[in-house]
Amino acid sequence: MDKPKGSVLVVGGGIAGVQAALDLADSGFFVHLVEKESAIGGAMSQLDKTYPTNDCSVCIFSPKLVECGRHLNINLVTLASVEDVTGKAGNFTVKIRQAPRFVDPDRCIACGSCSEKCPKKVPNQFDLGLSKRKAIYLKYPQAVPLKYTIDSDACIYLKRPGRCGACVKVCPTDAINFEDREKSFEINVGSIILATGFRPFDPAVLDFTGYGKLPGVVTSMEFERILSPSGPTHGHLKRPNGKDEPKRIAWLQCVGSRDINRACHGYCSTVCCMYAIKQAVIAREHASWDLDTHVFYMDVRTMNKGFEAYYSRARKEGVNFHRSRVHSVLPQPPDQGDGLILRYSGEDGELKEQVFDMVVLSVGVETSPEILELAGRLGVRLDHDRFLEASPLSPVSTSRPGIYACGAALEPKAIPLSVVDASAAVLESELLIHEARWSETRKKEFPPERNIYSEPPRIGVFVCSCGINIGAVVDVERVCRYAQSLPGVVFAQTNLFSCSQDAIERIAETIREKGLNRVVVASCSPRTHEPLFQETLREAGINKYLFEMANIRDQDSWVHRDDPEAATRKAMDLVRMAVAKVRRHIPLPYESIPVTKAALVVGGGVAGMTAALALADQGFPVHLVEKGPQLGGNARTLQKTWRGDDVQPFLHDLVERTSGHPGITLHLGALVQEVSGSVGKFSTTLSSGTSVEHGVAIVATGAASFIPRSKRDEKWRYLHGQHKNSVNLLELDRRFMDDPDALSHLKQVVFIHCVGSRAEDRLYCSRMCCSRAIRQALQLKKLNPGMEIFMLYRDIMTYGKREEIYLEARRKGIIFIRYDLDSLPRASLDAHGKIQVDVRDHILQEQIRLHPDLLVLATAAVPREDSGELSQLFKCAVSADGFLLEAHMKLRPVDFATDGVFLAGLCHYPKPIEETIAQAKAAAARAGLILARDYVPAESITASVDQTRCVGCGVCQEVCPYFAVKLDEKNRKAVVDKAVCKGCGVCVASCRSDAITLLNLGNQELMSQIEALMEDDPEPFTVQELS
Amino acid sequence: MRDRSQEGWEPKIVAFLCRWCSYAGADLAGVSRYQYPPSIRIVRVPCSGRVNAQLILDAFKAGADGVWVSGCHPGDCHYISGNLYARRRFVLLKRFLEFVGLEPDRLHFSWISASEGEGFAEKATEVTEKVRALGPCKRLHKEFDSNQENIW
Amino acid sequence: MVSVNKRITEELRAEAGRLLESGEIAAFLGYCRGSLPYAPRPFVARTAKDAERLIWNSFCVINLANYIPGLLQELDSEHGAGDEISGPKVGVVATGCWSRNIVIQIQEQRFTRERVLIIGVSSRGMVDRKRLHSAVDGMEITGIEEEDHIITLMAGGEGIEVPRWNLIRDNCRTCTRPDPVFFDEMIGEPQGERSIAEPFSQVEEIESLTPDERWEWFQQEISSCIRCYACRNACPLCYCSTCFVDDSRPQWVGKSLNATDTALFHILRAFHCAGRCTDCGTCESVCPMGIKMRLLTKKLQKDLLELYDFEPGLDLETPLPLSTYRQDDPDLDIVSEPAEQDGVRPSRKGG
Repeated sequence: MDKPKGSVLVVGGGIAGVQAALDLADSGFFVHLVEKESAIGGAMSQLDKTYPTNDCSVCIFSPKLVECGRHLNINLVTLASVEDVTGKAGNFTVKIRQAPRFVDPDRCIACGSCSEKCPKKVPNQFDLGLSKRKAIYLKYPQAVPLKYTIDSDACIYLKRPGRCGACVKVCPTDAINFEDREKSFEINVGSIILATGFRPFDPAVLDFTGYGKLPGVVTSMEFERILSPSGPTHGHLKRPNGKDEPKRIAWLQCVGSRDINRACHGYCSTVCCMYAIKQAVIAREHASWDLDTHVFYMDVRTMNKGFEAYYSRARKEGVNFHRSRVHSVLPQPPDQGDGLILRYSGEDGELKEQVFDMVVLSVGVETSPEILELAGRLGVRLDHDRFLEASPLSPVSTSRPGIYACGAALEPKAIPLSVVDASAAVLESELLIHEARWSETRKKEFPPERNIYSEPPRIGVFVCSCGINIGAVVDVERVCRYAQSLPGVVFAQTNLFSCSQDAIERIAETIREKGLNRVVVASCSPRTHEPLFQETLREAGINKYLFEMANIRDQDSWVHRDDPEAATRKAMDLVRMAVAKVRRHIPLPYESIPVTKAALVVGGGVAGMTAALALADQGFPVHLVEKGPQLGGNARTLQKTWRGDDVQPFLHDLVERTSGHPGITLHLGALVQEVSGSVGKFSTTLSSGTSVEHGVAIVATGAASFIPRSKRDEKWRYLHGQHKNSVNLLELDRRFMDDPDALSHLKQVVFIHCVGSRAEDRLYCSRMCCSRAIRQALQLKKLNPGMEIFMLYRDIMTYGKREEIYLEARRKGIIFIRYDLDSLPRASLDAHGKIQVDVRDHILQEQIRLHPDLLVLATAAVPREDSGELSQLFKCAVSADGFLLEAHMKLRPVDFATDGVFLAGLCHYPKPIEETIAQAKAAAARAGLILARDYVPAESITASVDQTRCVGCGVCQEVCPYFAVKLDEKNRKAVVDKAVCKGCGVCVASCRSDAITLLNLGNQELMSQIEALMEDDPEPFTVQELS
Repeated sequence: MRDRSQEGWEPKIVAFLCRWCSYAGADLAGVSRYQYPPSIRIVRVPCSGRVNAQLILDAFKAGADGVWVSGCHPGDCHYISGNLYARRRFVLLKRFLEFVGLEPDRLHFSWISASEGEGFAEKATEVTEKVRALGPCKRLHKEFDSNQENIW
Repeated sequence: MVSVNKRITEELRAEAGRLLESGEIAAFLGYCRGSLPYAPRPFVARTAKDAERLIWNSFCVINLANYIPGLLQELDSEHGAGDEISGPKVGVVATGCWSRNIVIQIQEQRFTRERVLIIGVSSRGMVDRKRLHSAVDGMEITGIEEEDHIITLMAGGEGIEVPRWNLIRDNCRTCTRPDPVFFDEMIGEPQGERSIAEPFSQVEEIESLTPDERWEWFQQEISSCIRCYACRNACPLCYCSTCFVDDSRPQWVGKSLNATDTALFHILRAFHCAGRCTDCGTCESVCPMGIKMRLLTKKLQKDLLELYDFEPGLDLETPLPLSTYRQDDPDLDIVSEPAEQDGVRPSRKGG
């Protein structure tokens, strides 16, 4: 192959695409991120809260979006679609078509004047039509890019030129361009990542739901917007009529999922159970009244970290759950009210009715027709559920080499797995084109910085009018003159638009010319503009931390429109405060840490080997530590994937490649004994005495199979270890591998699910057992179609595409009998010493007795006993159930809170092999992001200790969420590891001795700012003087 | 010296907002044009966990009529747990300052997320109204022109 | 019948002497007779002979924990710095609150557990000097005879018998844990945990006032403060190298008798003790102006118990309440003021 291209095309700007773009751009590739809408953000930007942490979705996502929008190596192409792809892996030519925005993004400052004046209102699709927006609009307030767009279907001018044009008149920057036209262009990339997401199922086709006809029936996405504080009802829980508050809400599960007859979707949409529970919980929180919430479901699928506990809490808090089949939703007769009658049959088969004010349809997900077309144009295969096809052992590769996929484009999946996929797809891209790393990226060069230590403060203040956004309310000239009177200020000026290119250049020039050494810009929010101005300081040759912003737009002129005098005085206060603070600022070093280009991988199972190979194949040396005598881990007992692919040949190949790889040093029979250092420069001692220097670490230590030991766990024993015909799933797989013939003679087999899972001490679902058990049952049926197979289960967790084997099992006559936690099946021996199993059948409402030849136990996966110790060595946390805890459950699923340490596989949570592989690749991609550079940037605004004041009480060490502060062993004073400190300041607030401070955000700086507020306003210009 | 008892007195309230959630909520209030009284002066801090008794007391000492601290909702902290440390500190401090006679409505704490623009404006209005009802804050305010300063 | 404190004195002398003699400890921290009959003074015994001077009575009001770090430092410089574990040991006599204070100090890494040998004694309560003087109408006290329930004060040439409990300090009266909770050896009999009907009644009394009345009370209480910082200096928890009141960078609290500065001093001093103060009462006992600053720390103690079920210094493992958190801690709405809630007090939320 010729040298590959160093760029990557990412299609789709939802969470998966954004994650992929950021990972790629940060590890040395140039990214074209193509998004069909006017802003990136995808479905996640529409969500209110995310389960199971109840994190605010926008809050956690927005920083990533902003980073994506600002990244030097991400080219954001919005309103665009991929037309055609030619060429081959390593060198594709991509044709892109971009629709016109009609607003010049270089000029638009998102002031919103256009939208305010625009006379045309249309349904706002971001709120699913529950609210209105204008024809010129911002997709949502935190949109990236933060640029308005004209909806050509709605715009009056575009339809009949000359009839409107209100936006042109009010736009302060002449950004409106009605002449904008569609563009087509080509780019060259080495690989392509499809992150095209899903669309919610449209329930209008399902008559029985009443959707579209009964106003009280809404989809879950619509309800999500109703819950959102930025949604159509500002988060006030209201019925769609906008008036009454609902007292009773029902959620109907599996609308458009697990339904071949009516919805043509056999698969499970995976996310709906949890989002429905979350919505019920959040709705109850929002309601100040007693809200009655009911979820109508077939199985509650809580098969991921923290889900079962969340479900259990929801039940305790009063959310009602009904195992049922919904018959229909009907309007109440008008004389009885305007409610909705829900008719459903319960588990006992009886038809029941219940009245609700609102019915939320938990709609499933599907692939949109555009994506199906795109797949056709790209020549990537779809599976029969019409998702992009990939295989369990190669989970993010499409059928076309060089094109990878991630997220819900592959299968219905929640945010964390989409993020994992994204990083895994990045890894595949890297494996393909890593030779071209840094070949197409851009880098910004800055002049050397002036040493300002000996200079007295020379502060420059730039006051922005932001067109009329600030200027129409705040008297910026007056603020500017006032600023000139402040101590330390040597220069002040107003700008029409401080962020315009010419103003930026003028600011830089003024800094140089006037020898400014501190700068205050009074304009908009530092959240969006601080990086831009800080860069300007660097371009002008001074340290970027000698800067402070006064937010006189978002937090002043925009919120005090009716009181210009007060707004002006407030602006003066804010400028005075900023000046007082920046006076005390010192230049801070741009911290970076040199990287030892080697990785330590702990655990020699599939996760560990996959990660090790992924890094070694890119040329990074890897030390693989395995505590046992051989590689392979838990997969050695796994016969097939859920779909039936053989695992052993795959595993064999993996072991061969790992042990033979020149870049991998194997440490078998070794344990990690001591770890020191931090990201970029770890030093680890193994039990063998070997010492390893490495820049990153990946923990992939697997999990164990549950064995009942305690008295409390005795009920889970089911004769296992006591009778040879009681086996667990691993042992049955072993029998399949060793002597399948022996299995074909069995007459009756009983599987018991959830042995040890989803109950008191292990309140979590072990995720992989349902699919594995059903796959085994199907294999048994294949060996002997006459075999009687019973599955005793609580909820079947065949999420996503796995649902198809559940359906097959039912078709093949496997009998499913449900049991409850309070009536567990019991196994005992009959008079002949044969196993008998008693269970209560809920449908028949009677006790039945089974006489299996083989009893198979789907036992829980449990954390390894030593995983806690290991995580402590790396200063990582463990969650309540004993599995290792990632940095953030939604957005950082393979990172630990400790920088430079990653996790993959079963040590994180039970999961099937395909997810372990994806996670291992993701961990390798995240680790590679560090190894790809010579230095990793670190936070500059860090804690800093005054040793003369420190009394060594250790409170800082105690509270630091990052373990960045330690007491020095010798002199008992606190020491901050700058490479680890994130600058939160919790230690500063906790220190009684004022011995630890946050650089530029210490007590001194903040107190100067506070005290400046209350100083006299020496208002030198009275209103009369001015007029 | 600003005459704090003059007609048309408007309170000045120092608001410590964490940069990730509540400050973003304040921005969103602006973007959405929710109006609230011009009494709030925002001090941006990395985390509500950065705010301690000393900063809050300093604001009162310097003459703030009210102090308001707002951070990410519990569980949302950008720094894992900063707001959870803050929560204990704030709850204890507020009860304590009330114990020594600070009017309860002088000091406010809240959790406001980046998507709660309206919530921010509502809280800002509520805080202002409560502080305004109390009049200028005299307790804990240090009059700098006091003759007592150089008694020794 | 010999009084309890006398017996403790004897046993203390014997045991401290033995420990010093055997070299197990390099010094013993206790009390000896002072210049006034009601003011014994903290005393370091270095030899078995010194130990004969030790006394124990109802006037040992100063928390000896305050002297441990300094004494250890002194020993280190005399004996050559040993390491933190094997260096020379200090023996100390400690009551319930003192021993808990030692726990806090160990938690805050002022010294290691290994370097203190704690001889626990159950406290029968210490005498409040104000009450003592008013019992003799301010006359000079020339001698004191102490029995278990009666204290005889020699004043104006005669012996005035006073029921001992009448003279005891407020903190000792409401003390629920008179026995040492953390010690190596114990002298005398434990009394067991005491149940106090309303341990926070004084705090509750103030809580029930209006904000204006409370401010009045607070101003009144601290108005006599001369900023001598005796309370701070005697407190084992106040050991910053630069106290915020002495700080000039920035000068946050003025040095003068400005009322705001004084208030800020008392507020922050108490708040710095939150979750650490074991109510030993030393601050109040040493205050020359009789300011009841203990009520401030007591209020914090009450809230910490109510909100987080926390009592300081019961063991070395429980983290200090402001250095930890729980996801299900009471949320911000718990702050609403008890007195203004129509008599409904915020209840302690379960765990």
